[in-house]
Amino acid sequence: MRNRATRFLIPIVAAGLLAAACTSGGTPTPAPGATAPAAPAPAAEGGAFPRNETLYTSGTQWGPPANFNPIREWDSATGTKGLVYETLFHFDPVAGKLTPWLAASGAWVDDTTYEVKLRPNITWSDGKPFTAEDVKFTFELGKMETIPYHNLWNWLSAVEAPDASTVRFSFSKANYQQWDFNIYSRSIVPKHIWEGRAEKDVLDGINENPVGTGAYKYHSHDQDRVAWVKNDTWWGKAQLNLDPKPKYIVDIVNSSNEVAMGLLLQKGLDLSNNFLPGAANLVSGNFGITTFYPEPPYMLSANTAWLVPNTTKKPMNDAAFRKALATSVDVKKIVEGVYGNLVKPASPTGLLPQWDQFVDQAVVGQKGFAFDTAKAKQMLAAAGYKDANGDGMVENKDGSPIALKLIVPAGWTDWMEAIRVIATGAKAAGINVEAEFPDYNALVEARNSGKFDLVINNERQLSNSPYTYFEYVFQLPVQAQQNTVNFGRYENEEAWKLVQQLDGTKTDDVEGMKKVASQLESIMLDEMPVIPLWYNGLWSQVSSSVWKNWPSSEGSAPKSAPTMWRNWLELGGFESLASLQPVAP
Amino acid sequence: MKTEALYFAIRNTKLLVGAGIILVLLGIGVIGPFFIDKPPTEYVGMQMQPPGGEFWLGTNTFGQDLWAQFVHGLRTTFLVGALGGGIAAVIGMVVGFLAGYKGGWIDEILNMLTNIVLVLPTLAVLFILNAYIGVRSAGMQALFIGLTQWPWAARSIRAQTFSLRGRDFVDLARLSGVGSGRIIMREIAPNMSSYLLLTFILLFGGSILIASSLDFIGLGPTDAVSLGLMLQQAHQWSAMHLGLWWWFVPPGAGITLIVGALYVANVGLDEVFNPKLREL
Amino acid sequence: MRRYFGRKLLIYGLTFFMAVTVNWLVPRLMPGDPVASMLARARVAQPEAQEALRVYYNNLFGFDLPWWQQYLNSWGSLFRGDFGISLWAFPTPVADLLTRAVPYSLALLVPSILLSWVVGNRLGALAARRKVLDNTVLPVSYVLTATPYLWLAALMAWGFGVVWGIFPVAGGYSFSMTPSLTWAFVADLFWHWLLPFASLFLVALGGWAIGMRNVIIYELESDYANYMSALGAPQKLIRRYAFRNAVLPQITGLALQLGVLVAGALVTEIVFSYPGLGSLILAAIQNKDFFLLQGAFLFIVLGVLIANFIIDVVYVIVDPRTRVGMAGAAA
Repeated sequence: MRNRATRFLIPIVAAGLLAAACTSGGTPTPAPGATAPAAPAPAAEGGAFPRNETLYTSGTQWGPPANFNPIREWDSATGTKGLVYETLFHFDPVAGKLTPWLAASGAWVDDTTYEVKLRPNITWSDGKPFTAEDVKFTFELGKMETIPYHNLWNWLSAVEAPDASTVRFSFSKANYQQWDFNIYSRSIVPKHIWEGRAEKDVLDGINENPVGTGAYKYHSHDQDRVAWVKNDTWWGKAQLNLDPKPKYIVDIVNSSNEVAMGLLLQKGLDLSNNFLPGAANLVSGNFGITTFYPEPPYMLSANTAWLVPNTTKKPMNDAAFRKALATSVDVKKIVEGVYGNLVKPASPTGLLPQWDQFVDQAVVGQKGFAFDTAKAKQMLAAAGYKDANGDGMVENKDGSPIALKLIVPAGWTDWMEAIRVIATGAKAAGINVEAEFPDYNALVEARNSGKFDLVINNERQLSNSPYTYFEYVFQLPVQAQQNTVNFGRYENEEAWKLVQQLDGTKTDDVEGMKKVASQLESIMLDEMPVIPLWYNGLWSQVSSSVWKNWPSSEGSAPKSAPTMWRNWLELGGFESLASLQPVAP
Repeated sequence: MKTEALYFAIRNTKLLVGAGIILVLLGIGVIGPFFIDKPPTEYVGMQMQPPGGEFWLGTNTFGQDLWAQFVHGLRTTFLVGALGGGIAAVIGMVVGFLAGYKGGWIDEILNMLTNIVLVLPTLAVLFILNAYIGVRSAGMQALFIGLTQWPWAARSIRAQTFSLRGRDFVDLARLSGVGSGRIIMREIAPNMSSYLLLTFILLFGGSILIASSLDFIGLGPTDAVSLGLMLQQAHQWSAMHLGLWWWFVPPGAGITLIVGALYVANVGLDEVFNPKLREL
Repeated sequence: MRRYFGRKLLIYGLTFFMAVTVNWLVPRLMPGDPVASMLARARVAQPEAQEALRVYYNNLFGFDLPWWQQYLNSWGSLFRGDFGISLWAFPTPVADLLTRAVPYSLALLVPSILLSWVVGNRLGALAARRKVLDNTVLPVSYVLTATPYLWLAALMAWGFGVVWGIFPVAGGYSFSMTPSLTWAFVADLFWHWLLPFASLFLVALGGWAIGMRNVIIYELESDYANYMSALGAPQKLIRRYAFRNAVLPQITGLALQLGVLVAGALVTEIVFSYPGLGSLILAAIQNKDFFLLQGAFLFIVLGVLIANFIIDVVYVIVDPRTRVGMAGAAA
């Protein structure tokens, strides 16, 4: 009986596995009413993607590709926005200006009216023409309350489409900086498909078989991957002179960085946008892996990590204390010890290197801070914080003890290591800071409701304008729940007015922007509402075994951002893909 | 009986080898940390150093001393094993003795409870508990493990007690008016002491293995270093892909050695107590 | 026999009831608010939009009802096969994620359990009272059974996957494949399955071998064995009888070990990022996905209960004594 069991077992197992794989993958069916020439072509060679025609990427998707809804900019499948759905413009962070994309041009016809001319001859992947009505429809979706860009309608008053290739936006108040952000961030969706959808479907719909204007179309997906196939009739080939070479792009869901590294070393992955600890060793060792810079910091900078003090609590409500705390942090030790030089220390303002022209060096020179334990001690003493009970730690001015908790989510290993360094530095200066690792949920709750002492945060990416950075730091009014910005609940009316003034400054008025930015930097360095620590990298490790011409700081290589991260395809990510060349012709 | 056991004990290679290994590792775990002046998570030197004279087990990607982590990890691992195994053994004994000695409806209820907890997949329960309640200390981890590991011990102790209950010496004690608790403590438990010891050893080893799984999944203590946490970190930071075998191999080998030695010692003890099993 | 099964089923029913209750209760004791973290992920800054979303999700997940109604509802939806909606893979229903993962888990578990049991028992029986074999099989078995599943799995992934590069280190099938009924795909599927299976099989093997060896030695020393050998029965025959008697406790052992084996499979899947329940559980834990974790837990409990019941049935078939008059003694 036992031997028989063994014999029968193997075929049964094989059948079971096969059933699992086949049911879960699902063969894509073309959208109803599709007139597009090619329903997703089945890949050649027994269901395999030919290696030399396929680009494998990873590092964006942490859960199964569960929706293809471009409205869900935060969790739609990698490439939904950027490969399938496109925006009116792209933004080039290197040149610092907008690149017309679906739009042929865009201009302010008067102070509160913006007019976009669309490119001709663009079609949706189902064959229907792309028109101004689609753009109007997309922006008007924002009138629904739960749509992420709903607040646009606080200052946008109307969208009109006078003809098929013109869209006119009228504003009650022109926020030029934010507007530029919106026109390269909002995916345009086809009116003829999305028209009848209820608010719930627009926000939470899966949007199977996405129909977009982009260079790629949906091919297939499974729990651990999504595959896109090239759209041979893409308009950009003729009009932008861009022709992405990979026939297929397969984005692999991260299960862990460990797996990503394994795949990268096995040449099964071309572009890894994971944070790979020890990436410096991969570059220097003989692994065939390269990064944007061949030397530290290896990566472009993507966002700033701040130490955020809760300014509603004692003693963090005292700017002098916050400055002393900032002076006690040994950022160099974090950069070298924790990150192995994969990140760069932040400048005192925290503005990303791409925004260097907006940093007023005179202000920084005069008011900036740097790590100096002895100076931090002096600053504390000068501000009236003394060690009255002789335990080596200073007390509040009223004599009550100071015991601060610095939190990051449990399991975020690099941050956990980083705050241990911060706590050690603070203690050396006499500030009693303990590192704690609550669960992510608990941390979010404490952070958003203002029930924390100190927290690390980096939730603001590079964008078209330092406006978004200052908005993060200074936004008012402070709500009961602060969900995305100003977690420290710092209130400064003057600063917030300046931020709004910056928003209302035209984007071509660089001098005007610099002037406002300088004032804001001055307030920031005086007040330290957040303490900039380091610049997180645009993690990107590439293998040149199948695809070459990756962006790099060296020679004539492209300088765009080598990334598939969400909302980064419009910031140079797509241009990087389009410039790839096959290694074997 | 006692002297006979000792006689066979010192001649039983399995027992000697197993106990020897455990004592050496325990010694390292207990005494070792006193010789390491820095906390195990301190950055002490060069990053990614292979094992050598200065750092016996090398350093990891942060430049932490892996020997220091290993020594502290041993301590935590022994602690969790002993505490978890101990708690499980105590619960198992209480339930097993009560059910086996009292019989009747007490037995019915306890037996039902035992069977229910027995068929529950314990690791899955621990996932749920740890993930939600957020156990973050080694002691709590041990407690939870103990609370889920007792049923099979209870079951076998119950069976043993059941068979002892009808013996003459127990009847005699009962007739002379001794209370149940005393009878269990004085008459029944000593008669199966060897069996209880074996049970505890198995629970000890089992707890260590379960703890390492929990640690590995990211549900380990956050205030300590354990061998399982070392494994998790090594895995999370791609130690193997980077060629840092000295980060990944020693903690796993440590766990295998401890648990293996426990099991071998257990068999040795079994042979000492049970003449039939001795090598012919 | 009816009573025997009735009793068993009662226990399994109660177990399931308890599991569901614990499952419902524990998340409600946890710190933090899942809706809040959901909103935090949606990055919505506007208070009105925020409030609209909060109300929306509260309704969706039913957190705004009184607790007893939530409890009853949880049973109701359970019987409808509705495990809620995953937060991690929003808006995929948890049941979908689970049914997609279960075949992979079963494909690892069933063969590794059965094969390790069969081979382990054979090995153990062979080793018992045979000095040379015993001295090799036994130590190896002890090392295997003491090895943490995850460590062996990771060592194998490293050795065969990274160093030699002959086996894949992740996934259920190649990233270059799309599921299809071709030999290439089936072979690929098998190739990805082999390492996780092998590591599970090996660790489980040791335990069975040791168990069998010990029981056989007991049996060989028992009165009937001595009696038979005194009667001059051939050693082979005595061994065969001993083996048959030893199989019964090993079946019981299988039932006892199920939980451990399932746990082993879960961590092994994680090491190989094999797309089964283990990987789902890890994702659920890391993303605080309430519903997914609970759904996976119930699936596992249910699976183990069913397996237990099958073992009960097998036990009755194999052991003639239970068939005759046994009523509940084995429970």
